[in-house]
Amino acid sequence: MRIRNVVQLHTVNRLQAFGWPLVIMSLSLTITLIIGALVVGVGGADARTGMNTGMQWNGAIFALLGPLIGFGFIAMGQYFPLALGLGLTRREFAAGTALVFVGNAAFYAAVVTIGKVVEVATGGFGLGVRFFDTFYTGIGAWWQTLVQTFLLILAVMLVGAAITTAFHRWGQSFLWVFWIGLAAVVLAVVAGALLSDAFRAAAMDVLGMAWGGWMVVIAGFAALGAAVWLTLVRRAQAR
Amino acid sequence: MSAIVTTDLAKHYDDVRALDGVSVTLAEHRIHGLLGRNGAGKTTLMQLLTGQVFATAGEMRVLGQSPVENAEVLSQTAFIQESQRYPDTFRAVDVLRIAAGAYPHWDQAYADTLVAQFQLPERRMIKKLSRGQFSAIGIVIGLASRAPITFFDEPYLGLDAVARRMFYDRLLADFSEHPRTVVLSTHHIDEVANLLEHVVILDQGRVLLDADTDELHDAAITVSGRAADVDAFLAGREALDRTRLGGLATATLTTRDGDERAAREAGLDVAPVSLQELFVHLTTASATAPATAGADPATDVATV
Repeated sequence: MRIRNVVQLHTVNRLQAFGWPLVIMSLSLTITLIIGALVVGVGGADARTGMNTGMQWNGAIFALLGPLIGFGFIAMGQYFPLALGLGLTRREFAAGTALVFVGNAAFYAAVVTIGKVVEVATGGFGLGVRFFDTFYTGIGAWWQTLVQTFLLILAVMLVGAAITTAFHRWGQSFLWVFWIGLAAVVLAVVAGALLSDAFRAAAMDVLGMAWGGWMVVIAGFAALGAAVWLTLVRRAQAR
Repeated sequence: MSAIVTTDLAKHYDDVRALDGVSVTLAEHRIHGLLGRNGAGKTTLMQLLTGQVFATAGEMRVLGQSPVENAEVLSQTAFIQESQRYPDTFRAVDVLRIAAGAYPHWDQAYADTLVAQFQLPERRMIKKLSRGQFSAIGIVIGLASRAPITFFDEPYLGLDAVARRMFYDRLLADFSEHPRTVVLSTHHIDEVANLLEHVVILDQGRVLLDADTDELHDAAITVSGRAADVDAFLAGREALDRTRLGGLATATLTTRDGDERAAREAGLDVAPVSLQELFVHLTTASATAPATAGADPATDVATV
């Protein structure tokens, strides 16, 4: 199996694969630090505490995670046709790309976790800011951030690849079915929450689920995405 | 030995029969021309033979095996297609690096030479390259890969005449040193006619002609002269093409033994038909003729 060639396909342009995500993350972190310095400088200790609490929901980390969400789409939309064009088999592409997904998830999860450890150890870089230590990446222990970020990145890449492969196969009609299906689920949840006390109580139980339960849910999405993607990619054709 | 064999190969998309009942045998270590009008099924055939799409029916063998998901076969094939898509962030150098790892017979020194000769700006984003520079990427890969089976599907769109000439020269020179099976699809038929040893013409998804180019040199002639003489010479025979201007007429027909001598004796001028002219006549005749068995002029040519 020419898995090495597939890995090379995804990583040959190192600036694009690793350089820019880290540069953009650094810029986003810098902006967060500037905001933190301004808040602390102007508002003092009270403002610092309030900012620290509020920044649990700071989405600046998506400057790093955002492009990774698109990675699954790009893998199938742009790299798959070239892989076939270079004589790589679908099986080789799937194996190599899955390895890249896992490697990417591990690498960036490690980056976020190290960032979080430093951030917590330095009291938010001395300013009380939160960039890595947020709800999205886990506000528990460092290892929880490692696991959560890894699973989250892996899941979005696999689901992205699955959606793109399905679109590749069924075209616009898939998107219609997907969005209508998603809208129906959202509508059902909203209707249930509005009309049924029992549903509302059950939903609150789910939302209040322990961290481990949420990790199982994310892992479930990753597994579903992987199953759909690997099933469809074996019959995907060049367009 | 046969490098490629297809038997009743078909590829249908919903209501479109892109390829239908194609049976061809391509010998190894030759340059084959795959000709046809737009939409004839050339690219589809090459996509099938390189495992990019799946056949609806029929069989195919490449190097004796099915190419579908077959790494052993696919690592021995290079498919250069004009519609190849590259990732948005890629530069030519990125593609060449991957190709160097993907093809076991890759010659990096030769690739570097070709990059210089075709003046390919390696480090510029592919999406910013001109159409000709874009085509040069495929040409470099197709030649430097030295794949035992190389498919070129309109490899030189956007290249100027000088660069196209350079491609033909490089292809022929490298083919001589490193014999391999080349399948070349092109609309510039006259430019490549001297390269081709065997020709398959596809028309509306079917094989219209399958013949060695040696056989085709004398496969058809054009006769011209007084309209009455031309009519008398044809005497009920099917012509590939026939034009009349005042009292003069010209007709192109598949030849039989003694035709050329008989035409001259009838006072007609006789001219050979180039591969491109033959292609035009055959595909035009096919498009206008009723679909009746036995009336296919290509059948006559292919069996000459």
